[in-house]
Amino acid sequence: MSNRRMLVFNILRGAAAIFLALGVGFIFIVLSSDEPLNALRYLLIGPVFRIRDGVLSFNTTSFQTILAAMIPTIFTGLAVCVMFSASQFNLAGEGAVMLGGFVGALCAIYLNIPGWIHPVVCVLIGAAVSGLIMLIPALLKVKLGASELVTSLMLNYIIMFIVLHFLNYYFADRSKGATQTFSFQPTAQIPALIEGSSKLSWGFIVALIFVVIVALFMYRTKWGYAIRMIGINQPFSKYSGMKVGATIILSQVIGGILSGMGGSIEVLGRYNTYLWRELPGYGWTGITIAILAKNNPIFIPFAALFIAYLDKGCQLMSTYSDVPSEMIDIIQAAIFLFFAAEQFLAKYRQKIVVKNSRLEMENNNLSQEGRNA
Amino acid sequence: MFEQFLDTILKADFLFSIIRITAPILFAALGAVVAEKAGVVNIGLEGIMSISALFGVLFSYWTQSWLVGVLGALVVGVLLGLLIGFFALKLKTDIILAGIAVNMIGGGGTIFLLYMFTGMRGNTGALVSQNILIPTINIPLIKSIPILGESISGHSVLTYLAFILVFLIAGLLYKTSLGLNIRAVGENDQAAQSVGISVLRIKYIAIGISGALAGLGGAFMSMYYSQGWNSGMIAGRGFIALAAQAMGRTEPIGTMLSSLLFGFAQALRTKVSGLQGVSSYLVSLIPYVFTIVGLVLYAISTTKKVHKYRQTQAEAVEA
Amino acid sequence: MENDNFIIQMKGISKVYPNGIAANRNVDFFVKEGEIHALMGENGAGKSTLMKILFGLEQPTEGEIIINGEEVSLTSPSDAISRGIGMVHQHFMLIPSLTVAENIVLGMAPIKKGILIDYKKAVQITEEVSQKYNLNVNPNAKVMDIPVGMKQKVEILKALVRGANILILDEPTAVLTTQETSELFKELIILKQLGYTIIFISHKLNEIKQITDRLTIMRGGKSMGVYETASTSEQEISRLMVGRDVILNVEKDKSQPTETVLKVRNLEYTNKWNKKMLDFLSFSVRQGEILGIAGVEGNGQRELVEMLFNLNTPDSGTITVNGVNIINLPQDKIRDNRVSLIPEDRMTYGIADAASIEENVISDRYTEKHFNNGPLFDMKMIHKESDKLIKNYAILCKSRKQQVKMLSGGNIQKVVVARELSSDPILIIADQPTRGIDVGSTEFIRNKLVHLSRAGAAVLLVSADLNEVMELSDSLIVLYGGKVVAYFDDTSALDDTVMGEYMLGLKHQSPEEIERVCHE
Repeated sequence: MSNRRMLVFNILRGAAAIFLALGVGFIFIVLSSDEPLNALRYLLIGPVFRIRDGVLSFNTTSFQTILAAMIPTIFTGLAVCVMFSASQFNLAGEGAVMLGGFVGALCAIYLNIPGWIHPVVCVLIGAAVSGLIMLIPALLKVKLGASELVTSLMLNYIIMFIVLHFLNYYFADRSKGATQTFSFQPTAQIPALIEGSSKLSWGFIVALIFVVIVALFMYRTKWGYAIRMIGINQPFSKYSGMKVGATIILSQVIGGILSGMGGSIEVLGRYNTYLWRELPGYGWTGITIAILAKNNPIFIPFAALFIAYLDKGCQLMSTYSDVPSEMIDIIQAAIFLFFAAEQFLAKYRQKIVVKNSRLEMENNNLSQEGRNA
Repeated sequence: MFEQFLDTILKADFLFSIIRITAPILFAALGAVVAEKAGVVNIGLEGIMSISALFGVLFSYWTQSWLVGVLGALVVGVLLGLLIGFFALKLKTDIILAGIAVNMIGGGGTIFLLYMFTGMRGNTGALVSQNILIPTINIPLIKSIPILGESISGHSVLTYLAFILVFLIAGLLYKTSLGLNIRAVGENDQAAQSVGISVLRIKYIAIGISGALAGLGGAFMSMYYSQGWNSGMIAGRGFIALAAQAMGRTEPIGTMLSSLLFGFAQALRTKVSGLQGVSSYLVSLIPYVFTIVGLVLYAISTTKKVHKYRQTQAEAVEA
Repeated sequence: MENDNFIIQMKGISKVYPNGIAANRNVDFFVKEGEIHALMGENGAGKSTLMKILFGLEQPTEGEIIINGEEVSLTSPSDAISRGIGMVHQHFMLIPSLTVAENIVLGMAPIKKGILIDYKKAVQITEEVSQKYNLNVNPNAKVMDIPVGMKQKVEILKALVRGANILILDEPTAVLTTQETSELFKELIILKQLGYTIIFISHKLNEIKQITDRLTIMRGGKSMGVYETASTSEQEISRLMVGRDVILNVEKDKSQPTETVLKVRNLEYTNKWNKKMLDFLSFSVRQGEILGIAGVEGNGQRELVEMLFNLNTPDSGTITVNGVNIINLPQDKIRDNRVSLIPEDRMTYGIADAASIEENVISDRYTEKHFNNGPLFDMKMIHKESDKLIKNYAILCKSRKQQVKMLSGGNIQKVVVARELSSDPILIIADQPTRGIDVGSTEFIRNKLVHLSRAGAAVLLVSADLNEVMELSDSLIVLYGGKVVAYFDDTSALDDTVMGEYMLGLKHQSPEEIERVCHE
């Protein structure tokens, strides 16, 4: 019974954190917009409802767009889940997405493989390269004790400039106005799940499959178990006989693989040429999502949906109203701060705990008295 | 090409640019030192620099005074430091996540804030005029010394301040009771608490100072270095500062030396990218690669040191 | 109850921690001015919590505190300090890299020229107060370089300098040698004569009898009453403390040791502060026996245990288990050689506190074939295993899914013991296996160790609890300064005064006598 009360508390607490974060967003909207109500309408209901002549109707295409936007962030969210579970604050997911996308794109342009297999191969190669690059912060941490936080941050910039170097000097299609590669071979494109303008590709299904795979991996395999135990208590894990160094490396390589996979699936599912000229930002969003999901893979799609919805709302707000879409960063930061705050509403939790333990004490006394009598 | 390269770096203006480029990193790295000494990891330096840089320009534009701009940036830095402190210390958000949140605000959030305050998008181009930039100082006597004079004289007020602050921060940490308390809190906060030092207060002060220093770094960037604010202008300097602090063993002087090293790397990038046939992208890598290599060398040296220490001991025992 | 000369009155104090543990339940605690008042109780009885409340480190969930007749609210140590309360913690609250003088003036450093620390003045203050109370310290030494006894003096001086007239000493003798203890007692008597009030936390009967005027006994978070020390017998105190007349009684028949399992030979280790912790240490443990290691803490026990599980590397020497060298062997390989360790620091090594009981008990065996089904765990088998261990080791819990940190100390230790003793070990290293846990769990764990040794395991018992090590061991060695100074092949006739002399380095056996522990 006490556990249920705690669960209810935790859910309410999460909801309160999100509302508070949205509240911060509203304040900024009211401050910056000449037509705050209009802006708010686009932010909150715009993503899935169309309003015409005062009549609400469900906007299927827009909803599909939101689902499509979840594809890369589900992957980065899962990646962060795995890495943070091992207590490794590796922030190179951002670079890994870009690298995976670029490598996947090159494979899509230059490899000749029949349809269906082609995108699979591209994505696998992209994922593998991103996984390998994570060996840099992982090995430096495990072998030399260099902070993965700093090395992974530096790695993001290094990856970005290397990709830009190769894009500009070797793979650019000079016939185009903007810097981009040649077009992908048609065989390499990830087919659309639903035809139309939403860009909702089969990648979405793959992402959901990976949610299940990663959840199983983390909670139903010996490797995931070791990752979680090491995250909770490293000396304990070493003493228990776990291979701590190898597991820490594994967690980050998996983080790289998942991020890289997200990058290449996004590129092959959405575009027909590679055109990212800066870090795409999915890595950071992945951190927000992992925090919302409390590092539990199963909750990742819901958190990703929430963020994608907000993101879409912010875009609409900047298109149809006068609030810049970067508003999303303010809201995300606020979510981050409140949601991850352990002591947020802790007073109420303490009240529940005190109440529970008092009940328990009374029960004990009662049962003791019963025995004595 | 190599000669051309040597020609470029062995010049007063190269030394000058090392100092100029080091200053913002040094500000933030000193901020990292103060925070770390109190046992607080301030990963939000990057975001603080970016936001303060924006507000530096805004304040100086509104008041047409560079000094108010710099002070405004400093105050914003303090407030952001305290914001991280509030969430990390009071509400127990993981301090790394609190820092990342501030970095998010420093990323897209600044674009929003700029729009909110001015209606501009992306950069402050139209706001900046020469009279609201941080002024430079020519040092009369030193100025006339060849090479040295040319490289040391003529910097901005803030550049000199950055290097003076190295010694002020060292004095603060080792000669004042606040410094004693900061070090005590960082080393054993329970012990500090048991003698009535308010650990929270000291940590707030430390992260506030840390924010102030990063704020100055931000002001330096927008009000002198880039002559205006644009999104992405900090370009990882806040993160590099963290690396400089780690390499400088969290000591002010050591951190200044490692910051100069990063300044050198970045100055090199600026010079080399002007040369024919060099990829500007690969050159842009230099400071980041340098940071990783620096951290690795530092890590190797510490492991070796421990090893060596143990070895000399073993030898002493045998003898 | 008369109120006239009570300097401290704590009334109806209750404390419930955020994890739900009720550490104090309606406790009354009254101290008279100028007395030495003992606060007694087993580990976990709630003494430390009560004192943390008095020192402002914790806030009571309920209850009131009256100091010098005035009701107060102590929300921080500064509040307590300003009311004249000083506390010497069990784990020293000192900053190792600062000097003695800096530690003493920490938080109230003398200032010159407006902002700078006046270090000379700090040294002067230290010297003055040190002379006044006859507590000799070296003001300029760094705390990391001074011996334990001096650290404690620094702690007392810290409190006195801050104007404390009520001193709380939390198990002050736990880390001291007998000589240092008697020195401390002399100093405390002087302080008492000067009018200071002292609260003395301990669970050592002889010390309490020796130095205190009155005593309050706590058990299970409740007060068991206040007594005059002189008119209360040791048996009475002991009964009130542990709730039974016999403190411990482990049934065991005579051991019949067979093959040698663990061979430690010429082990040497010098720590990073250049202190020699293990000095040519040699001994053996045989199947079927419990070999105890007695000794004052800090004489190499911790380092030895670390070496035995490759948590640290010796400078030279050998360690073999059934002939296999285990130095530098990864822990999983050490465990493959059927070695188990009940670690001293259970919260650091013994458990992952945020994980479930189930996840904790399988941490050494989760890779085994029968728990895995291809790449996936066989959850059925794992549930079966954890349920079995919970039942066999009488772990009191709601379910196998309960977080370990929600359990009581004794049950947490049972989780550790369940894992370590159920893996069919041939060598069990039990380092302080019952420290700080309740009587029931203690008895349970001791009986398990005896049972396994009689079933053929070799048991190495390291314990700071002299009673435990003497009653539980079949044979026993005493460590002093990283060396074996005595070996007793029969513990039944041992006398604790003699043991004390060996433990304090006053006596040592001849090399021939000691060598017998190698059984060669």
